[in-house]
Amino acid sequence: MDILISVWEFFQNNVLTKPQFFIGFIVFAGYALLRKPIYECLAGFIKATVGYMILNVASSGLVGNFRPVLAGLKDRFDLTAAVIDPYFGQTAAQQAVENVGRSFSMMMMVLLIAFTVNIVLLAFRRYTKIRTLFITGHIMVQQSSTALWLVLFCFPNLQDPGVVLMLGLLLGTYWAVASNLTVEPVAKLTEGGGFATGHQQMFGIFAVSKLAKYVGDPKKSLDNLKLPGFLSIFNENVVATGILMTIFFGIIITILGQDLMHQIDKGFKANQNFGFYIIEKSFNFAVYLTILQLGVRMFVSELTNSFQGISEKLLPGSMPAVDCAATYGFGNPNAVTFGFLFGAFGQFIAILGLIVFNSPVLIISGFVPLFFDNATFAVFANRLGGIRAAAFFPFCSGIIQVLGGGFAAWYFGTSQFGGWHGNFDWDTLWPVIGLIMNYAQYVGVAAVIIVLLAIPQIMYRRHKDTYFVIAEDYDEYKKIEAKKQGVPVDQVVID
Amino acid sequence: MLKVIAACGSGMGSSQIIKMKLQKVFKKLGIDADIYHTNVGDAKSQANNYDVVFCSESLVGQFGGTKAKVIGLKNLLSEAEMTEKIEAAGLK
Repeated sequence: MDILISVWEFFQNNVLTKPQFFIGFIVFAGYALLRKPIYECLAGFIKATVGYMILNVASSGLVGNFRPVLAGLKDRFDLTAAVIDPYFGQTAAQQAVENVGRSFSMMMMVLLIAFTVNIVLLAFRRYTKIRTLFITGHIMVQQSSTALWLVLFCFPNLQDPGVVLMLGLLLGTYWAVASNLTVEPVAKLTEGGGFATGHQQMFGIFAVSKLAKYVGDPKKSLDNLKLPGFLSIFNENVVATGILMTIFFGIIITILGQDLMHQIDKGFKANQNFGFYIIEKSFNFAVYLTILQLGVRMFVSELTNSFQGISEKLLPGSMPAVDCAATYGFGNPNAVTFGFLFGAFGQFIAILGLIVFNSPVLIISGFVPLFFDNATFAVFANRLGGIRAAAFFPFCSGIIQVLGGGFAAWYFGTSQFGGWHGNFDWDTLWPVIGLIMNYAQYVGVAAVIIVLLAIPQIMYRRHKDTYFVIAEDYDEYKKIEAKKQGVPVDQVVID
Repeated sequence: MLKVIAACGSGMGSSQIIKMKLQKVFKKLGIDADIYHTNVGDAKSQANNYDVVFCSESLVGQFGGTKAKVIGLKNLLSEAEMTEKIEAAGLK
């Protein structure tokens, strides 16, 4: 018995509470189960472990770079600040989890359980009416991180097994239900492209595709618009982050002033020019984000590969739910940039609003929600509501992202660590789920899961005849619609 | 050995999907290919060392002046579209 206990303790101290090794061993075990040769299992183990360790270097770099600015804001204006971006959010969540003395390995367990829940819901689709499997690995890591902190925030005394089981159930249900909501909009946009969206703004896509036709006219589309060429530089992550951070931190650090920064930031040498200090500080964020993404890419690509394999083998007739950028090829080429611009416009106005109304937390725009959410909304909005809808929805989304993200960063305390997830669903649905969990505890979690599971049932009841057909055979779906409208298939109107 | 880059905006999601689908398609066509997935910025700076770049149609404009062949995809998940475009480009 003593031996068993000491073996368990060894495992707990060296693997279970060390996320890098935990993830490494999971990849190793997964590859072994897939009967890959031992050297490939080992390579997978090393890549996953090193990838996670790279991520750790980057997140402590991000936090370290941010700390003097946060301290300055606290000191000068009694403000906290958060960048609304999933990478900053993931880092802040990790800091928050570790700050209360819990192990971040739970994130990985949550992810695996949630993925399993999604598979089970899909396997029983005759009853659950779920048609999609969420396989976007890096998003699953980010969402598991943020949601893990939400649960620990609302249930500080819940033990680890309870935390991962409950959250796995909740998050897996969200993945299945929310990606299932995008089946119709994506199928109609891509004319049966054979996939759904598994990303961070799935409720948003659903809402936009329902509302766009009331806002504008699809005939007045973005086609004839000529956007200035310089906007194409925002297609590059590093450039876009560098510019955004220089604008925001340039303003913040300038207001905090040279003297204060000298006091609180040891890295600001007496002989360094203030302007170059600001640029270096801002570009550092681009540096650490690039490193962070390198790390995530390393351990997630192993994960996504096997998820894709599972989705093809286990569940024929189902749809993979993938990155929102997969829809961009089907939209107007202008839509992506247009959405980004109007989203930025909305965010900047909302941030000014926060400052004017003395909000306790300052929000800094992050690149990912600004670009990927709003570009996606513009693509969907343009198809049904033309140029007006493609401007209106990203603009509203920008405002919502800042207000919802600001509330969440303040309420759930991640603004102490400088970040919040910041993507659309995480500025709307998830703060509400967090509030419900905090006030109604277990009853609240159960209620949220039941309400989520009811959504596909309602969708099914409204379109029983085409509900599964649209996912399995789009041409057949068009035939059914044409029959209903009493026109030949090539004249059918799908909206 | 054909050297291939799969690129997307962040180098995380879509490029990996392109890569996984490409692997299957190349295998079916009997083409021996080594595929690397990354973001647009990285892909641009490395494209000259590769034979061909695959990305979303919306990003093709980013690769002006590269020696590598650039193939834009409309549906990143469509094996049929990939097969057709690989054959049209005469890759082997």
